[in-house]
Amino acid sequence: MVAARRVDGRFGTRVAARAAQVAAIALALFWSLAPVYWMVATSFKTELEAASLAPTLWPHAPTFANYRGLWSGSLPFLSFFTNTLVTCLATAIVAVIIATPAAYALSRARFRLRAPIGYAMLVFRMLPLVVLLAPLYLLLLHARLLDTHAGLVVGFTTFGLPFAVWMLKSFIDAVPIEVEEAARIDGYRRWQILLKVVVPLILPGLLTTATFVFMEAWNNLIYPLTFITTLEKQTLPAALVLTFTGQFKTDWGGMMAAATLTTLPLMIAFFAVQRSMVRGLTSGAVAGA
Amino acid sequence: MVLPSVGVLAIVVGYPVLYTLLLSTQDYNLLGVTPTRFVGAGNYHKLLDDPTFWTSLANTALYTFGSVAVAAVLGLVLALVTEDVGGRRGRVARALLLTPWAVPFVVVAFLFRYMYLQNGGAINAVLLASGLIRAPISWLNEASLALPAVMVTNIWAMTPFFFLLLAAALAGIPNEVLESARVDRARGLSLVMHVKLPFLRNALLVSSLLMIIANFNDFAKIWAMTQGGPGYSTTTLVVYVYRQAFENFSIGYASAIGVVWLVLLLAFAVAYLRALRVH
Repeated sequence: MVAARRVDGRFGTRVAARAAQVAAIALALFWSLAPVYWMVATSFKTELEAASLAPTLWPHAPTFANYRGLWSGSLPFLSFFTNTLVTCLATAIVAVIIATPAAYALSRARFRLRAPIGYAMLVFRMLPLVVLLAPLYLLLLHARLLDTHAGLVVGFTTFGLPFAVWMLKSFIDAVPIEVEEAARIDGYRRWQILLKVVVPLILPGLLTTATFVFMEAWNNLIYPLTFITTLEKQTLPAALVLTFTGQFKTDWGGMMAAATLTTLPLMIAFFAVQRSMVRGLTSGAVAGA
Repeated sequence: MVLPSVGVLAIVVGYPVLYTLLLSTQDYNLLGVTPTRFVGAGNYHKLLDDPTFWTSLANTALYTFGSVAVAAVLGLVLALVTEDVGGRRGRVARALLLTPWAVPFVVVAFLFRYMYLQNGGAINAVLLASGLIRAPISWLNEASLALPAVMVTNIWAMTPFFFLLLAAALAGIPNEVLESARVDRARGLSLVMHVKLPFLRNALLVSSLLMIIANFNDFAKIWAMTQGGPGYSTTTLVVYVYRQAFENFSIGYASAIGVVWLVLLLAFAVAYLRALRVH
C-alpha cells in the first residue's frame, strides 16, 4: 500500500517534470523565434500596416512591394549586397590561404618561437578592434586604400587571420602524424606534404574556418563604417545604419525587407557549419589550460 | 611557413598597436586643425578627469558582465532542459533555438529597435494587452531604460552561443560518471548541482571568457540601436573611442582610451586563464 503510493507519487512528479520541460522548451522557442517571425512578417506588410499603432500579428494584405522597392528604390541595394558578399568572401579566402601554412607549422614543427607566436595569435584575437581603428585608418590612408574594398579586406583580416590560424591548427592537430610520415618516406617535401596530404584531409575544416571568417566579417560594422566613405561602396550592415535616418526613417516594412535579405546569407552559412561549430568556437581559447 | 601570417599580422595588427601607443602620447587631430605635438602623459591625465570616460567604463562593465551572466544562465538552463530530448524532434528544436545567433548584429539591433518603438512597437503592444503596463513605454529614449533594453537585445542574440557550447559539454560527460551518480541515488537537482555542474565548469569559463571579450568590443548593436544615447546612458568604451576619434577627430585622446582599455582587457584575460588552469 505504502509502496504503491510512493510509485504513484513518483509517477506524478515525472508527469509534472515532463510538463514543465515541454513548457520551458515552448517558451524558449517563442523567445528565440518571435523576433525573427516579426521581421519576416513585417517585411511583407504595407508601409501603412508596418507603421500602424496597433500592430497586426500577420500581414493582412501581404505584398512584395518592400522587396521590389529595394531593387527599384533610390538606394543601390544590390551593390550593397554584392559589396558585402565580395569583401567577406575575399576575406575568408585570403585568411584561410595565409593561415593554413602557419597553422601547419604551429601544429607540427618544433621551433623556438612556436609558443610565443601561438600566444600572439591568441592575444590578437582578443584585441579590441576599436584600438586598431585609428592607426589602421591612417595606414590605409597612406597606402591609398581608404574607401576601397581591398582596404576593407585588409581591415577584416585583423580578426579573420588570427582566428583562422587557431581554428585550422585544431583541425590539423587531429590528423594522425603517421599519414605524414608515410609521405615523408616517399620523398615528399614539407610543402608537398602540406598541399597534397594534409590539405585534402582537412578540407571540411578549411570550409568551416572560411565560413566562420565570412560570418564574422558579415557581422562587422565598425570597419566599413570607418574605412568606406562612398555610399555606393558600402556594405549592407553599414548601409542599413547610414540610410536608416534617410529612406527608411518611417518605412519599417522596407527596413525589415532589407534586414531579412541581410540575414539570409548568414543564416545559410550558419546552418551549413553548425555541426562543427563547437570546435571552431573554442579552438585556441583553452590553449593555456 | 608561419612567415606569411606573421608578416601580415605584424603589419595589420602589430604596427597599429605600437602606433596607438605612440598616438596616445600626442595631440593628434585627424583634420589637422592643430599641428600634431607630443604631450607625453597628457592624454592620460585628461582621461582621469573625464567623467564620460568613467561613465562609459561603468556602462561597459554593466553591459558586458550583466548580459554575459544572464545569457550564460539561460543557455545553461536550456542545455539542461533539452538534454534528454532525442531524435528528430530534438534536433529540430535545437536548431531552432540556435536561430537568433545567425541573425547579423545590425539586423538584431534594428529589429529590436522596431519592436521597442513607443508607438506601435510589438513589445509595448504585448505588455499593454496583457495589462502589465498602462501606458506605452519609450524604451530606448529613457536614460534609465535604454541600457537594460539594449542588454535584453544582446542577451537574445548571445544565449544560443552558451546553449550550443554547454549542450556539447553536457553530452561529453562520461556515462560512467552519470551511472555511478545514479547508483548513489543522485537525482534531479542534486544530480545537476553535484555531478553535472562541476563537469561544465571549464566549458562555462571558456565560453563566458569568449563572450566577455566579444562584448567588451561590441559596437554594432549599441551603435545601431542608440548611438550611445540618450545622453551618455548607453555609451560604452567602444562607442566613446569611436566618437572621440571620428566625430571629435582627437585621435590622440581616443588612442589613450584604447590603450587603457587594452591593458584592462589583457589583465582580465590573463586572470581568467589562470583560473582556468588551476583546475
